[in-house]
Amino acid sequence: MEKVSPSRYVHFEKDRCTACYDCVRICPTRALRFRDQAPRLRAGQCIGCGECIRVCSAGAVRAATCKPEHLDRDQISVALVSPVLYSQFPGVHPETVLQALRQMGFRHAVDMSYFLEMFQFATEDYIRRNRKKEESPWPIISPVCPVIVRLIAYKFPNLLANILPVVRPLTVMIREVVRLLNEKYDNPEQPFHLYYIVPCLTKMEPGGPFLKDSSYEVRALGFNDIFGDLRREICKVPWNAPLPDFFDYETTVSSLIWGSSGGETADLKIEDSLAVSGLKECMSYLEKIEMGLFREMEYIEFRTCTEGCVGGILTATDRYLAKRDIQQTILQGGIERRVTRSEFLRFYQEGRFAQKNSLSDMRRIFGVYEKALSLEKMAEIYRLLNHINGKNCAACGAPDCRTFAEDVVRGEACAEDCLELRAREKK
Amino acid sequence: MPDILFEKSFQINKKDFVHAGEASISAKNLLKSLQMDAGMIRRASICAYEGEMNVVMHGGEGHLALAIEKNRIILEISDNGPGIADTEMAMKKGFSTASDKFRELGFGAGMGLPNMKKNADEFELSSRLGEGTRVRMAFFTDAAV
Repeated sequence: MEKVSPSRYVHFEKDRCTACYDCVRICPTRALRFRDQAPRLRAGQCIGCGECIRVCSAGAVRAATCKPEHLDRDQISVALVSPVLYSQFPGVHPETVLQALRQMGFRHAVDMSYFLEMFQFATEDYIRRNRKKEESPWPIISPVCPVIVRLIAYKFPNLLANILPVVRPLTVMIREVVRLLNEKYDNPEQPFHLYYIVPCLTKMEPGGPFLKDSSYEVRALGFNDIFGDLRREICKVPWNAPLPDFFDYETTVSSLIWGSSGGETADLKIEDSLAVSGLKECMSYLEKIEMGLFREMEYIEFRTCTEGCVGGILTATDRYLAKRDIQQTILQGGIERRVTRSEFLRFYQEGRFAQKNSLSDMRRIFGVYEKALSLEKMAEIYRLLNHINGKNCAACGAPDCRTFAEDVVRGEACAEDCLELRAREKK
Repeated sequence: MPDILFEKSFQINKKDFVHAGEASISAKNLLKSLQMDAGMIRRASICAYEGEMNVVMHGGEGHLALAIEKNRIILEISDNGPGIADTEMAMKKGFSTASDKFRELGFGAGMGLPNMKKNADEFELSSRLGEGTRVRMAFFTDAAV
């Protein structure tokens, strides 16, 4: 029968649930069913998009996060800061945000945008090298938003081949930060504690690290978990604060653009690219790409959240205010790159972009295998569906009649759960 | 005649650009949930979409019919539209009778039918002026070809 296990991304509070079924209906992977007065999640099918959290007006769906209590001053702790964080504090220089994080108790705070620029070089390089090759699957899809990668693995596995085969900026960053830490600290007693500060659920592993090695552990920390404390610390940062960190990547305000939809492609030096944001839009574009459209496009940036990462589920500032602030900053200063091509090539030749996972690995890691339906079962589904002739009322606990019919045929629900069918039988 | 194991037909509405493509998406998702050969699904969805767009642009009310047999699938796209005056010309790459309005939307490059023929294993176009058009295509699982 149905497997129910807790999700890494969301949890449901039964006491608050008003049984409105909104979460069941909105789930893009149809991972929720309403049973015994509570939504049940098929955790393996959850891609962490957070739509159920957004739609729940009763506040019964919560993001699984790892609270900052875990921060221990004796540890060698490093905050890995995505530039989206700066958009939460309009008018504050990124360097001040990093300094405030150090005051909060992180031993080091490292800006990610240097690695984002590296990633941009790698993207341009890959596209230029493969442009003339007919066999490359076009368009190339950005691997930056992990929800999109999971969505593709689950719903559009044929498009896994379109995902840019370059490691994500976070991975390159972790590799480099750990290398530098190892140079600085000789044989530390504890593993390095890395905290990735995120606007969304995608890296959540409640109470534990999402990535672990003998010398380091990486945990995720949501924006909203540190926002209050960080804002207080920002006010306390002296105007002439020294730069105490040995990680110095000369943070620039132009990195802010990464928080907004189109930020990844804005400065990408290729022929043609698109930026799509919002889950519904992304799904509709992926459907179209699967049907052979947009083959003339070189690169498509997809972001699950509307307007990009500033619209993330764990952000603390309104997405449109953040967007306006980013646009104003970029209009004033333009976009500059610190990374030079020779620096990139050195990184490249050292194999820092090498990918560990193959396509089939990705399918295994992110994908969910549903047993294929036989033709007989498919015919049965449509027979039942015609018989129900329903209005997608969801009273059965499934998001729509089609899903319900499939659940019945797969033996995961009973036909008697359908109100329409029951009413007709009584007559 | 091999046995048809499964049949399903999807409605295509005249000039309905808002929902254009939905019939092909439904057909594609049906094939995907049967986990049929991925290459065949890809080729069939490209053809279904091209065909559906043709109906929406030029045709009248139409249908996208999907039939699954043991080793192949058949797609039939038909409409009760104006029909094609010269089917030979229609098959030429770059030939199009699409209006400027549709060209502005990015359609009407004259690649629809040739692209369908290229992607299908069997292709048959028949049309009668004033009565309608029918495109019938067969796809074999890539493994079987």
